Amino acid sequence: MPPPRFTGGGSFSFRGRSNLSVAITREDFDRSKCFAGIARGIAGALLFALPMFMTMEMWELGFYMDRSRLFLLLIVNIPLLVILSDRIGFERTSTWRQAIRDASIAYGLGVLGSALILFAMGVLKYDQSLHEIIGMIAIQAIPASIGAMLGRSQLGGQSDDGDDAKEGDSDDPVHERETSYAGELFLMAVGALFLNLNVAPTEEMILLSYKMTPWHALLMIAASLAVMHGFVYALSFKGSHDLAEGMPSWHAFVRFTLPGYVIAGLISAYCLWTFHRTDDIGSTQILMAVVVLGFPGAIGAAAARLIL
Amino acid sequence: MTRIFNDKNVEAGEPHWIEWATGVVSAVIVLGVIAWIGKDALVDRDSSPNLVGVVLQTEKRGGGFQVLFEIRNDSSATASQVTVQGEIREQGSVLENVETVLDYVPGHSKARGGLIFQQDPAGKTLTVRASSFDEP
Repeated sequence: MPPPRFTGGGSFSFRGRSNLSVAITREDFDRSKCFAGIARGIAGALLFALPMFMTMEMWELGFYMDRSRLFLLLIVNIPLLVILSDRIGFERTSTWRQAIRDASIAYGLGVLGSALILFAMGVLKYDQSLHEIIGMIAIQAIPASIGAMLGRSQLGGQSDDGDDAKEGDSDDPVHERETSYAGELFLMAVGALFLNLNVAPTEEMILLSYKMTPWHALLMIAASLAVMHGFVYALSFKGSHDLAEGMPSWHAFVRFTLPGYVIAGLISAYCLWTFHRTDDIGSTQILMAVVVLGFPGAIGAAAARLIL
Repeated sequence: MTRIFNDKNVEAGEPHWIEWATGVVSAVIVLGVIAWIGKDALVDRDSSPNLVGVVLQTEKRGGGFQVLFEIRNDSSATASQVTVQGEIREQGSVLENVETVLDYVPGHSKARGGLIFQQDPAGKTLTVRASSFDEP
């Protein structure tokens, strides 16, 4: 506001003050909302990524992992966070610009949170080489940033969704709440990736695949499909899916559960490759490891359809 | 969360053909995986690993002569804690013996490692072989 207004009569200065005070409160409000959002992000990163911060294999991967695979993972994470932010960001009216902003905040929180926690736990020390330190922080930042993003949406901001849900009651629920087919598959991919990142670095995944006979693997495929279908359609969890009138249940099995399982399998294969679990390994053994990792992946994919 | 709201999702009754196409492709992939693993379940069942050592290359490094090797497992059974013995012999007598342990050599796969000798294996007999293993 130009200075002459403030030096004018009493009413002007009063108006000036009142505007100023409003401005201050609005700024304070935004700031507290912003801090709350960041705090939620950190809480989410902790909640979702702490198991990985405390996994020995994740630390080791930080320094021996092939840098081109790490780079690819870091790059892939960017569109993932942006789309995730657009899909589940807690402001319904979010634009792509806001989605990119939120994604970069989440990524930043992921990097910062990883660095702080790894130093706080003594995993990282100052005398380590920069190569190791950056590698460890970078790999932990992936799950932490997804956690930060999920934390912002799942741990808060529900009041915004409430209005939408109310509108959804009166409107056609198929169009109001239902996402596009691609959106549904994307959510499954995120859910699978998240659970896979938790367990893929551990040695147990490949050890299990070595211990299992092919018969165990076949059983595991059947179990994964059954659990995945059951989670979403049969167990009546909150957010579970119903079929349209007169639609046989195998329709949903073919259209959603099978593609979901294939996505979980592809994500598993990608995670195993990224973490060097497929190097020099025969194709059957890789397939078995994918089936093993596909089990948590399938559960993650199903859970994502319920939760997100 | 205690707030209750109606967020039942209903799958569309008349889906786009893309959904069916994706479903069919996925079914083919899943059946393919099942067939692949099923084939191994029926025909390819070895009870013990078959480990063969191969020397890949020898390099002069700061710590000595570094021999990179590969242990191949031609059986479908996986070996773990595979001890690898490397020996340099000259005219029947062992000049140097070095060993290492590989975590896993999975079935129909290979695992790599390195042995570091003090003497140059050039012109002498160099053997790398697996000497023991565990079941995973």
